[in-house]
Amino acid sequence: MIADFDATRGLTMIPDRVVEVLNGPAIMFVGSRDAGLRPAHTTAVGAVAYEDRQTVTFFVPESRSARLLSNLRDNGRIAFDFGLFSHEAYQLKGVYLSSRPTTDEDLARQEAYRKKLVTAVRQAYPEELARPLVLGLGYHPGIAVTFRVEEVYLQTPGPGAGTKMA
Amino acid sequence: MATLPEEIKAAMQGVIPSHVVTCAADGTPNATAISQVYYVDPEHVALSHQFFNKTVRNVRENPRALLWVISPLTLDSWDLEVEFDHAETSGPVFEAMDMQIEAIASIVGLKGIFKLKSADIYRVASVTRNVGERIPLSDIVEPRERA
Repeated sequence: MIADFDATRGLTMIPDRVVEVLNGPAIMFVGSRDAGLRPAHTTAVGAVAYEDRQTVTFFVPESRSARLLSNLRDNGRIAFDFGLFSHEAYQLKGVYLSSRPTTDEDLARQEAYRKKLVTAVRQAYPEELARPLVLGLGYHPGIAVTFRVEEVYLQTPGPGAGTKMA
Repeated sequence: MATLPEEIKAAMQGVIPSHVVTCAADGTPNATAISQVYYVDPEHVALSHQFFNKTVRNVRENPRALLWVISPLTLDSWDLEVEFDHAETSGPVFEAMDMQIEAIASIVGLKGIFKLKSADIYRVASVTRNVGERIPLSDIVEPRERA
């Protein structure tokens, strides 16, 4: 059960540019926490924002999902950070809705994401690092985690980092 | 208290960005990328405090943080459970971090913007090398578009 789910909170619309970055070659990872407020980290391999602009699904390797799912079933709180190599970055905060094993459709999204990401990383790092760094991260079998976005923050490094956008 | 392994130093050179997750007192997690986790000694690391951001505010409410670092040499990654201990505004750790930040800012044309307020020192509570998350080099294939 999600302990602090609040259905009365206002709806948040993810801005256009944030959706673009989410769909681009972004590095992405997930923050969660347990009942004792101990934070946890999980790398995500691809994500999708739905047409309602309020719901996002991200994909994590099953091998790294146990602690994340335990935390989400305990309290539901998610912080999802993603950014481009230009350092443009955003953070979505929200509440867990569901999880399931990844499907063929998810895998197709992940393949497209990995292709975009490795192309971008190859511009910043030498091939002998870029290829294993991106393509060497396990992603299948995977878990798709869906959450409802409640807050959107600018994370690009600088004085404006942390500004609430929505 | 845990001890950092020698091989983790390569993951603290700022080659590949690290990640930090904190949690506010109200239970809201916060996740952000950081350019570097600084090795202080086998039981302590430091993070730069340049702006009074959410990470800085959170660890002053709830000292626990999770740091993820990755070695560019081996691509081994580690989860470090750490606890904020204190902030230093002078001394060798602060001076070294300040010089490094100024040098990077100068290179990217942002000199003067990224001013170090303090070197935030964290105790290392646990160190976990992440296993089983990477595909062996020999098994890596280029991504393909699916129909």
